[in-house]
Amino acid sequence: MIILDIKNLTLEIESNGVLVKALDKVSLTIQENEIRALVGESGSGKSLIVRAISGALPPQWIVTADRLTWRGQNLLSMTRAQRQAIMRRDIAVIFQDPLASLDPSATLKDQLVESIPQEFIPKGWPWQRRKARLRIAQQIMRKVGIKDVHAAINKYPHELSLDICQKFMIAMALVSQPTLLIADDPTRGMETNTKQQILTLLAQLNKTRNLSILFVSHDLIAISAMAHSMTVLYCGQSVESGKMKAMRRRPLHPYTKALMDSAPSFSPDLIPKSPLVAMDGTIPTLQHLPIGCRLGPRCPRAAKECVQVPEERSINEHKYRCHYPMHVESV
Amino acid sequence: MITTLIRYFNLICLTLLVLVLLSFSLAFFFPGDSAVNLLGAAQIADQPLLSQAVNQSNVLVQFWYYVQALFNGQWGVSFATGKPLYEDIMQLFPATLELSLYAVTLALVFGIPLGFVSGLQYRKKIDHAFMSSSMVMYSFPVFWLALILILLVSLQAQWLPMSGRLSLLYDIPHATGFILVDIALSDIANKQYAFHDAISHLILPTLSVSFIAFAVFLRSTRRSVVDVVSTEYIKSAQTRGLTASNIFFKHILRNALLPVLPLLAVQISTLVTNVMIVETIFSWPGIGDWLIQAIYERDYPAIRTGIMLVAMIVVVFTLSLECLSQLIDPTRDRFAYARR
Repeated sequence: MIILDIKNLTLEIESNGVLVKALDKVSLTIQENEIRALVGESGSGKSLIVRAISGALPPQWIVTADRLTWRGQNLLSMTRAQRQAIMRRDIAVIFQDPLASLDPSATLKDQLVESIPQEFIPKGWPWQRRKARLRIAQQIMRKVGIKDVHAAINKYPHELSLDICQKFMIAMALVSQPTLLIADDPTRGMETNTKQQILTLLAQLNKTRNLSILFVSHDLIAISAMAHSMTVLYCGQSVESGKMKAMRRRPLHPYTKALMDSAPSFSPDLIPKSPLVAMDGTIPTLQHLPIGCRLGPRCPRAAKECVQVPEERSINEHKYRCHYPMHVESV
Repeated sequence: MITTLIRYFNLICLTLLVLVLLSFSLAFFFPGDSAVNLLGAAQIADQPLLSQAVNQSNVLVQFWYYVQALFNGQWGVSFATGKPLYEDIMQLFPATLELSLYAVTLALVFGIPLGFVSGLQYRKKIDHAFMSSSMVMYSFPVFWLALILILLVSLQAQWLPMSGRLSLLYDIPHATGFILVDIALSDIANKQYAFHDAISHLILPTLSVSFIAFAVFLRSTRRSVVDVVSTEYIKSAQTRGLTASNIFFKHILRNALLPVLPLLAVQISTLVTNVMIVETIFSWPGIGDWLIQAIYERDYPAIRTGIMLVAMIVVVFTLSLECLSQLIDPTRDRFAYARR
């Protein structure tokens, strides 16, 4: 069953008096129990999608979508309170930078305790309830792998190391027992060991708790190890999405191909000392977006038709937006 | 915490020592005989320590006796009146303190909440209204504002008295020096009339001092609120589905107030200057009025003591506020390595 369904999400930002489409008709669906990876270069709008789902956008940014629904309920048309309730119970977000996303002047305990939904606390006197809250908080912190919970819980974020803060962010996201976890680059800038722990934790939660995960990252190796399906984003346009396996074997979009080729561990038959493949050019800035398919100027297969925005087409749930897809014959 | 306290205590002591040294050296820099400048007269019978200081030949020993004399309240006598300075200042000083206290309280009580309103309504109509009006308030010169208030409220409308602390009808014995407290303590008839009179004398000076302070508090609070609201952790609190009131009281309030406190400390010197100007204009019998009189009359001992005292007050208050803001800020050791 589809829990989060996004169809043609467009986000417009005013820049120097002109409306710029930071996200252009992005489509994304998340099934129950699925780990979906959202991949793209930095600046491709991954975090903007996360923000648009959670609703934490500045009011002057314009969000339009054909569909932005959570279990069939339209997120864009519902009231603030309804959306808050969904964010409180069903969707949880882990942000990129843990130190910036934690209140610097509140202890970890205070911040974790306020995220615990009221329903989890048994009725009783205030001190009993406070105790129950603390117990839940310590439990969840232990679960995400923070070692010295009693020492860490009364500390301020700046007093702890980055990986404890990151684990704490995960604890804060999981304490409301959400159905969907949006992890916005949760392992950025981490050492391999800690990264591995966190990825294992997420994969484990997916199996044991039936947690769906939207995993936003550009770490292809981590993604291929855990994700079931993948959506590739380029410059605010979703270029291709489908099952992980199919996309690895036969990418339809030239950009996906380039992305896969840029990771050497993805091509086992790479000849030693051969030059690494990389696409020419760089990702354009928001002020200088090309018309039509935004990959156009960089694409090796581009032709005259690419100045028109390609429609989304699909072959067996493998969706792509390209006029001249690759590997079509063999699919 | 202890280290912070010790560090600030050290800082205050050293700064005060330098101030005392400067005030001592003033006696030598002023024209005339240094001994007379220090004492205020050729001979004073009842201030033995200060007289001894004058009689020493070594400057360092002189300074040592001078410090002792300061601690014992032997501050010399005034050229103009011949009365001991210590008693004069102790009479006048509470009046200044009272005026500044009310002005600061007024500015805080209105400035900080309105700053929050303005910051939360960032770039909306209310915000623009507050910002433009506070800019106008901030650019008023305080002496001009006081004169305009006297012109409009006292002379044209005749609503409030224009000078002094209390009408001559009431004779309140000097107990604490704070006029409202003194009235409450005294046992005169018609107490409520005396209260009414004292408050009507207070309104105009308090308003003129608090006007600029209000604008400064409003603007700095608003800036700080806007900064906090746009941070990543407030956005993340919104994504966690917390209610707006929860976010405000648990996250915005504390984080926005923490940087405002050091700004208040910086404002103290401006405030003292403004109080002195306002005292002169409203003939408020405080230390500022007295000090400016002393400057007109070239009353060197009074200038020396008055300047030292005002500087001491500014230093002590500023540093204690800074120390307090360091102590209550849980993020204080975030940059600890950079500070050492």
